[in-house]
Amino acid sequence: MLGEFEYLLITAAAGLGDKAYGAVIREEIEATTGRRCSIGALYTTIDRLETKNLLKTWMSDATPQRGGRAKRMVRVTPKGVQAAKDFYDAVTRVSRGASWVVNRPRSAS
Amino acid sequence: MTSMEWRLVEIAARLLERDEREVVLGDLVETGDSAGRGLVDVLDLVVRRQILLWKSWRPWLAAFGLALPGSLLLMGTSVCLSLTYQRLLGHRILDVIPLTQQDELLPWLSQLLLLIGCSWASGFAVGSVSQRTLWVSIVSSCLPCLFCLARFRVESLSKLCLLLFLAPAIWGVRQGVRVIRIKLGPAIILAVSVTVLMLPTWRSPRIYNLVLIWPAWYLVATARRSGRGRATLRSQMGEESTAR
Repeated sequence: MLGEFEYLLITAAAGLGDKAYGAVIREEIEATTGRRCSIGALYTTIDRLETKNLLKTWMSDATPQRGGRAKRMVRVTPKGVQAAKDFYDAVTRVSRGASWVVNRPRSAS
Repeated sequence: MTSMEWRLVEIAARLLERDEREVVLGDLVETGDSAGRGLVDVLDLVVRRQILLWKSWRPWLAAFGLALPGSLLLMGTSVCLSLTYQRLLGHRILDVIPLTQQDELLPWLSQLLLLIGCSWASGFAVGSVSQRTLWVSIVSSCLPCLFCLARFRVESLSKLCLLLFLAPAIWGVRQGVRVIRIKLGPAIILAVSVTVLMLPTWRSPRIYNLVLIWPAWYLVATARRSGRGRATLRSQMGEESTAR
C-alpha cells in the first residue's frame, strides 16, 4: 500500500505524462495541496518508488532554461498505476459514511 | 540569487552524487527558488541521503568494524616493528649481526610483510564496503591515531612510527574504491600469506589476530569469480548502490 506522499507523487507524474520531471512534479504537488514539497522528500520518494518498480526514471538532455543542466524524467509504470488505483479505492471505501463526505456541499453542475 | 549565495548552494550540492547534483541545481534554477530555500533543500536532501546510507550494515562495518579497531591494532604492530628495527639497526649491517640478532631478522621481515598485507587488506575492505561513507571511516580511523599520537611516550622512537601502516592502508583504500572486488586468486594468496605470517605471533588474546586477518578473508569471500562474469558483478554493484 502506498503512502500519502507516494500517492500524490504518482498521481502528479501520471497527470503530467511525458512532461513529468522533478521540478514540475514538485510545482504540481505544491499547487494542488497548498503545502511545501521539499526537494529532499521528492527525490528520496522517487528513488523508493523506482526501487519498487512503480516509477521509471532517466536523465534527459541538458536545457538552457535550467542553466544547461539535465532533468530527471519520470514515468509511472503499469504497476505504479495499479498501486495508485488500489490506494484511491481504499481511501474511497474507507471514506464512505464519513461526516466530511456525507455533509459535503454538492458542486453546481 | 546572487553569485555568492549561488556559490554556497553549489558547494552544498557537492555532497550529492554528480547526476543528482545536476538535477537538483537545474530544478532550483528553473523554479527560481530563493537562495535560502535552495540551500535548505539541498542540505535536506544530503541529510536524507546520509540517513538512508546508514540503514545498511555496510557503513557500520566499514567505520566501526574495520577502520576503528584496525587502525588501533595496526598502530601497535607498527610500534613493535619499529622497536625491532631499532634493535637490529643497533648492530648495523647483516654480516656483523650476532647470531641472536640474525634470528630476529627473519621474524622482523615477516612482521613487516604482515603489516603491509594487513594494512592493505583493511584499507581495501574499508574502501570497497562503503564508498559513500568513506569520510566517516577516515574519521573513525583518525581518532585512535590522534589519541595515540598525543599519548605516545617512547623517547627512542619518533611518533611517526605509529603511522607506518598508513601508506599501505591508503593504497588499499584507493584500490578498494576503484576496483570494489579483487580476483579470487590474488585474494586467496593474500589471505593465506597473511594467515601464515600471523601464525608465529598467534597468542592470546586471539581476537587481536582475528581482527587483523579477517579483512583479508573478507576479500576472499567477496572476490570476483572468473566464471561468474561481468554481468554478475554489475548486478551485485547495482544491488549495492540500491542499498545505499
